Amino acid sequence: MHTSGHTHRASRTLTGLVGLVATGILLTGCATAESPEATEPVIGGTLTYASGDAEPTCLDPHVGGNYPQALVSTQYLESLVSRDADGAIIPWLAESWTESADGLAWDFTLAADVSFTDGTPLDAAAVQANIAHLQDPETGSSTGYLALAKVTGTEAVSANVVRLVLSQPDSALLESLSQPWLAIESPTALARSQDENCAAPVGTGPFRVESWVQQESITLVRNDDYSSPPEDAAHTGPAYLDSIVWRFIPDSASRYAALQSGDVDVIDNAQPDTIVQAEKSDTIVHLDAPRPGASNRIELNSGRAPFNDPLVREAFIRSANVDDAVTSLFQGTADRSYSALSSAETLAVSRPDLFDYDPEAASDLLDSAGWTERDSGGYRVKDGERLTVDFPVSTNQSIPAEQSLFEQIQATAKETGFEVVLSPMDLSSWYTALGENDYDAVSAPYTKVGPDVLRILFHSDGIIPAPSGYFANHSQVNDPAIDALLTEAGQVTDADERAALYTDAQNKVLEGFHILPLFDQQNHYLLGTDVVGARALPTVSTPTFYDAWLK
Amino acid sequence: MSDLEIQAGLGRSPRAARSSRLPRRFGVAESLAGLFALFLVTAALFPGLVAPGDPLGIDPLSAFQSPSFAHWFGTDESGRDIFTRVSHGTGSSLLIGTLATLIGLGLGLVLGTLAGMLGPVVDFTVNRFLEVLFAFPGLLLALLFILIFGPGVATATVAVGLATAPGYARIIRGQLLSVRSSAFVEAATVLGRSPGQILVRHILPNTLAPLFVLGTLGIGQAIVWASALSYLGLGAAPPAAEWGAMLSAGRTYIGSAWWMSFFPGLFIVLTAVSATALGRGIERRMRHA
Amino acid sequence: MAEVGRGTRIVRGSRAVQVVLARLGGAVFVLWMVATLTFFAIRLIPGDPAEAILGGPGSQTSPEALAAVRAEYGLDQPVLVQYLGQLARLATGDLGRSYSLNQDVAPLLVGQLGGTLLLAVLALGVAWLLALGLATWSTRGGRLAWYLGSGLEIVAAALPHFWLATALIVLFSVWLGWLPPISTSGVSGLVLPVLTLAVPLAGFLGQIMRESLLTALESPFVLSARARGESERGVRWMHVIRHASLPAISLSGWAFGSLLSGAVVVETIFARPGLGRTLLNAVTVRDVPVVVGAVLIVAVGYILMTLLTDLAQRIADPRLRAG
Repeated sequence: MHTSGHTHRASRTLTGLVGLVATGILLTGCATAESPEATEPVIGGTLTYASGDAEPTCLDPHVGGNYPQALVSTQYLESLVSRDADGAIIPWLAESWTESADGLAWDFTLAADVSFTDGTPLDAAAVQANIAHLQDPETGSSTGYLALAKVTGTEAVSANVVRLVLSQPDSALLESLSQPWLAIESPTALARSQDENCAAPVGTGPFRVESWVQQESITLVRNDDYSSPPEDAAHTGPAYLDSIVWRFIPDSASRYAALQSGDVDVIDNAQPDTIVQAEKSDTIVHLDAPRPGASNRIELNSGRAPFNDPLVREAFIRSANVDDAVTSLFQGTADRSYSALSSAETLAVSRPDLFDYDPEAASDLLDSAGWTERDSGGYRVKDGERLTVDFPVSTNQSIPAEQSLFEQIQATAKETGFEVVLSPMDLSSWYTALGENDYDAVSAPYTKVGPDVLRILFHSDGIIPAPSGYFANHSQVNDPAIDALLTEAGQVTDADERAALYTDAQNKVLEGFHILPLFDQQNHYLLGTDVVGARALPTVSTPTFYDAWLK
Repeated sequence: MSDLEIQAGLGRSPRAARSSRLPRRFGVAESLAGLFALFLVTAALFPGLVAPGDPLGIDPLSAFQSPSFAHWFGTDESGRDIFTRVSHGTGSSLLIGTLATLIGLGLGLVLGTLAGMLGPVVDFTVNRFLEVLFAFPGLLLALLFILIFGPGVATATVAVGLATAPGYARIIRGQLLSVRSSAFVEAATVLGRSPGQILVRHILPNTLAPLFVLGTLGIGQAIVWASALSYLGLGAAPPAAEWGAMLSAGRTYIGSAWWMSFFPGLFIVLTAVSATALGRGIERRMRHA
Repeated sequence: MAEVGRGTRIVRGSRAVQVVLARLGGAVFVLWMVATLTFFAIRLIPGDPAEAILGGPGSQTSPEALAAVRAEYGLDQPVLVQYLGQLARLATGDLGRSYSLNQDVAPLLVGQLGGTLLLAVLALGVAWLLALGLATWSTRGGRLAWYLGSGLEIVAAALPHFWLATALIVLFSVWLGWLPPISTSGVSGLVLPVLTLAVPLAGFLGQIMRESLLTALESPFVLSARARGESERGVRWMHVIRHASLPAISLSGWAFGSLLSGAVVVETIFARPGLGRTLLNAVTVRDVPVVVGAVLIVAVGYILMTLLTDLAQRIADPRLRAG
């Protein structure tokens, strides 16, 4: 596919130097795909990326705001701030920022001489237009809208200083703003109709959207005037690649086959067995980038029987042999998690002691909870009711290995007497099942930068039933003590105090046996060895091809 | 698809004498098919006799083992024995195939009889109705049905039955029309038999006989249909040992563990082949009888 | 005498008009029923289209966004009003606007139609060739060829598309490296999808053709042709194959429909843009206008195909030409 530009090697003058810098930085980078070589980057070429995620219906991540949008928009949109590999917030489109003493006003000084690819300059008014766009119900923003919940207004302090005014202090504001769903777009472009903006959003990124043929591919071409790489990028100036062809190959077997045959250069959502194969081969490289936010976990619905009884929740968790399952199914490509948060989060609390596989203890717990009898199927019974766990599985959101993991949990929990009913369903039916409180256990990804995700997942405000039907507190944790901790943690400005509050809250959630952590929400990218310098942005682990080039 | 394959059974013209080149006696193929069918029936009724293990019993540490003496067909991603699963899956797979075919045939019989027997107005109406069903791609019909009533073995079975009914109906109507205009029905009419008598004593028996053949041919196809639904995540719920579900689950690992999809697939194909061979044999015997 | 002649001509003419009108009326009825059934079937599926429009892995819909979407697409109105509204639009040829793709349905589907049509036509052609070849060979080659041929056909017919596609990809793309596993701009990307669709279909068509081939070989007209001294090859090609194709032709219309079912799976696996994939995606997000539009297009295609096969049958079978 990338035949067009291998030989195109213009403007070599800068690249020698840049290449040296690049390899130096790449050596220290943590999520770097390619073992660095002292070769100079080749300018030109077309990289073909094959995504297993659903094709976005709108390329502007302000609209809705899901992961597939984040993946592709990382190539052409940029945010005010970013994160480095250690989780610290670093400047991007905003050069610097200050928070007022009461925490209710934040001033962002914007980088100088940055323009959107339509020529509109980046200034305070542009940022104001973006915040307004995100908060406008007509936009239909979800992720960005929620992240800006505490922002009540904006002011242009000067041409390049913008102020965000808050109703309450927000310790997660910078983390929220670093996400691709809150990227800054050209105000001129935002003024177009939503359809036009969805088809080709305009940002400041290293590439711009050239064309989008729905159900086929998105073509991105280099932004030759690019001037705003984040601090942790490997070079400055325009990107090396001429263009990126972004394709959607939903079937995992054909996606991997296309990488093997060289028809595509990079794939995402790689299956564990193909990762193992790739790691053995010398033609494919594995790039592992755990997503931030929540770990991959099973949420136990404490809002209805049988999991409203903490003893039954603990019994279920003790009866599930997750360690062996993760080992056999993920074949070393994923580690078991004992935390509510992703290992990418520095504040994650890990409690291996709470999640031992112990069927005997589980039996005792069920006995003391009153589930003493067994029926002919070997399942526990109480008052004539079988101990049944309804577990809807979204086939769009769970990879096959994950579904097999649920099957193994089903098999081990059966020995203790749980009947786990796995029901695979499409996304719409799955949302409906959740909205109707028709589930006992569920596994849902939630990606957000920073520990503030805990508030979304475990604060009682996140329990139904808003008229929308969607809610994120699937385990239906309703504990005033946890609410208080999370609310306070969202407001304190002192880092240590914040860490202590989040640690307390996590311990309470884990000790209440509301969730069964499984492993980190993975992002596995596989790259052909001709791709050099690709990395995952440490914000939400989307890949960036700004530093990438083709051998 | 089953429609096509059904017509294959009726494609032979009853007028023509069989070629001497054709195997007419109880051939090797039919004996083999009979033996395999016997095995299937045994496995369906007494799976424990064929494979004593637990089809759902996991053993994570012996996952992805290739075929060996311990595991004839290898193991799957959770260390379950595939031979055991294939054997224990015979019952539900055959049930899906048989029930779906019966539903399709039953609906087809009702619609076809209505169209073929009750005069031009009903015929026109039923035909338009069939056109409507035909105009839907069969998979979409099944898809909509399953999404409305929820995925699972039962709905998948009914969905496959529904999707195949229009094909059966059309064949039955054609068969009815040709039987009705045949000489012996005319003779019965001349003899003054009532239409009901003629339907019950002459037309239906002559129409129904070939249906038996259609049925045997349809079973394999129905299982294939159900496996396509499993691929789309709408068939049997995991981790049921059903061939279609196993085939589609194993496909993910086709590059690293071919045996996971090969053996369930082999059983689907063998079932279809032996059902077809037996069906044809029976049909041949009936014609010569 | 002249008057009588004119009279019959008029009667014949009006009968032809009647036949055409009946056919047209039937077609309109079928389309209307198809649209109605699809509309209500999707409405019966649990799941809120508004949720689906905004939904996606990891996205959190706000009530405001949902309300806005419901109002924009008229989802807050009674179902009957929505149905009549859609019917009125359909009557004027307006397929409406997609819930999920932010596009008008008609141009969207027309854009997807080409790829699927190409795939289906090629698959049908290849299936015909394979089936004809296999059937001719196996009726001529004696007992062994008979068994082998009919065995191959039954096996081919029992191969599920999704499994065959993957097996072909592993063989031709990964091991041999001859063909791309996904759609490409060139012709090579078409080979595997076409084969995937054609092989099972060839199995069916082959079974049918061989049966009628055998029947034809023993029929009186072949005997008389032989008696006239025509060469065996001449007999085979001129009479037998034409005769044997009849049942297969009559099934081609239906086969075309079944190819569209197959296209759903094949387009997903080979990442080809097309009607099947669009249809599947639209059903999963409850995108009523796209599903109804796509099903209508398929129905029109089916009606046209039935007409074509009628014609082809008349050409292949002289007896039908008179009637």
